[in-house]
Amino acid sequence: MKRYLTFVWDCVRLSFVGDWRYHLWMTILTVVALLGLYAYCQQLVHGLVTTGMTDQVSWGLYIANFTYLVGLAAAAAMLVIPVYVYRNMHLHDVVVFGELLAVAVITMCLLFVTVDLGRPDRALHLFRRFNFPISMLTWDVIALNGYLLLNLHICGYLLYCAYCGRQPARAFYVPFVFIAIVWAVSIHTVTAFLYVGFGGRPFWNSAIIAPRFLASAFAAGPAFIVLTLQIVRRVTRHRVTDDALFTLRRIMQVAMIINIFLLGCEVFTEFYTDSAHVASARYLYFGLHGRSALVPWIWTAIAFNLLATFLLVLPASRALRTLNTACVLAIVGIWIEKGMGLIVPAFVPTPLGEVVEYFPTWGEIMVCLGIWAFGLLLYTIFVRISVPVLAGELTYEKRYGVQAP
Amino acid sequence: MSMDRREFLRSGALAGAGLAAAAGLVVRDRLRQEARDPTGSETARQLPAPPPAVSGLAEDSLLRMQRELARAMAKPAEQRRWVMVIDQRKCVGCHACTIGCVAENKLPPGVVYRPVVTEERGAFPNVHLKFTPRPCMQCERPPCVPVCPVKATWRRPDGVTVVDYDRCIGCRYCLTACPYGARTSDFGEYYTDGAAVGADGRAVAGPRGPWEDQANHEYAKRWNRAGRASPLGNARKCHFCLHRLEVGGLPMCVTTCIGRATFFGDTNDAESLVSELMATHNVYTLLPHKGTQPRVFYVA
Repeated sequence: MKRYLTFVWDCVRLSFVGDWRYHLWMTILTVVALLGLYAYCQQLVHGLVTTGMTDQVSWGLYIANFTYLVGLAAAAAMLVIPVYVYRNMHLHDVVVFGELLAVAVITMCLLFVTVDLGRPDRALHLFRRFNFPISMLTWDVIALNGYLLLNLHICGYLLYCAYCGRQPARAFYVPFVFIAIVWAVSIHTVTAFLYVGFGGRPFWNSAIIAPRFLASAFAAGPAFIVLTLQIVRRVTRHRVTDDALFTLRRIMQVAMIINIFLLGCEVFTEFYTDSAHVASARYLYFGLHGRSALVPWIWTAIAFNLLATFLLVLPASRALRTLNTACVLAIVGIWIEKGMGLIVPAFVPTPLGEVVEYFPTWGEIMVCLGIWAFGLLLYTIFVRISVPVLAGELTYEKRYGVQAP
Repeated sequence: MSMDRREFLRSGALAGAGLAAAAGLVVRDRLRQEARDPTGSETARQLPAPPPAVSGLAEDSLLRMQRELARAMAKPAEQRRWVMVIDQRKCVGCHACTIGCVAENKLPPGVVYRPVVTEERGAFPNVHLKFTPRPCMQCERPPCVPVCPVKATWRRPDGVTVVDYDRCIGCRYCLTACPYGARTSDFGEYYTDGAAVGADGRAVAGPRGPWEDQANHEYAKRWNRAGRASPLGNARKCHFCLHRLEVGGLPMCVTTCIGRATFFGDTNDAESLVSELMATHNVYTLLPHKGTQPRVFYVA
């Protein structure tokens, strides 16, 4: 127990140590996170009226970000599967970074859901009157928190073993790794099921949403990790091989192509049928009754996704610069498409036929930026700690001069 | 990192006790519970008797419904089956029901339980308007109830779907589930926010009108939003004015309807006006293909 506490203490200490760039980065993130906290306090005092959400469009930027981030978290499995299932060892060293990303991102997801509550003071009612298994929301609560615990356990155990300078016992983490792989698929499926089960929301009421969620997650997630790994190898001494990045590129290629194919299926079904249910899709892609706030967004997203797919299938994306461009395009494209492009149109037009548009307020945007900053802060700390620990530079033995018992 | 036996037993006992307590809570929650009635268990009570019908004149439908209401309220809740019948041929689109409801339930801006949907039909000069008042449909199979993560909403035995403001966490999942848009969320708006400011930017009427913080009587309780209390932040919906029924009053939208286009009553009472209307007219419901089986019927 004492040794575990020294481990935690060393980690805390380490997260404050770094060069000026590290300090600057952390300061900026802290400031943005605190600004977000301030905006959230405003919301807490005045109610959700500080957001742009209305009765008509009752979910907005918060749930949009939440949906996107669940995908990002699920994508950690995309690093784990090649290593543990296919014994592709290119990615072995970076698996922990993927899982730490999952931990940080799931924390962000939980924050996004919490800030969306109209009465956060009652959030604990979830423990006392949990409507499981009838409400899909309770499934999501279990899926997300379970995934958080699984990844916390795996990363925490591996890091702690490295700190103690001993070989991790396979029985303590390999079973959890396999559970986490299945769980990763489940978090995104369950999140999709949150939306698809409503007869009253034809835009979501489609079986293709869950597979599309997975496809886009397995594109945006590795894209994010490719960029992160390059930053890690630039600013730390941790070695990340190009092979690892190219394995991720291959995953992205397949996922992006599937994502675009499924989008095509969806668009065809909606528009060729041309029933009354097409109204939401028409609002999203072309505007409805002169209201077209989302139109430029969604076409940007489609352009970005097509361009990213095109770049990824070209041999040119074996050059890191091209690959990075494709990654950024995919991340932004999918963020738009799966966030605002998925959540908002389902509410437009309303069941009564009104076309009410949603525009996020500054307060709402600040809360979102704050949560993103907090997530990045967490992830930076995680990487800051795990690089020296995994490299064996920070061990119990080195700190206290005695072999860990 | 070794643990002696005493320590092991102690931590084991602690973990076990915690687990047992948690399991007990979960089990208790799953046990069959009596139907909760937020308006109290007392249903049979002395209601003021409406005046008898004047012979020779057609009786006002409100008086008849009032009489039937007293009869229905004398029965236990599970023997009543409330329905609303709306005669669109008589609706003139005056929105008196919408406003009456806002006044009765002290609804803040943005929260409307019973809007009147106005549709324009035809092309000039052959145009006409169609009005569809839309209260909560009080579905027999409400999509909004199962989705609630904290069991804060349920269907009462008399067919009214209610929300417990003290339980609702404000996730707005039920708003998403309702195919009629009949659920609203109280986002915390006030009529006087930013309104009571003169052209020169000075406040004219103070920060907030005193009427904004008056308690309503939904579910026969006093709810006051002052100080961020419920129902601020909660999901809110039409509840057929349960609190008025309890004291012998018809729902506000029925009473304020100037065209006598809205009818309310108990279909378990075969003699009631609503039973009669449903038997003699070709009634329809909104979005029947959603399988929700609404308890609000329209005559067009």
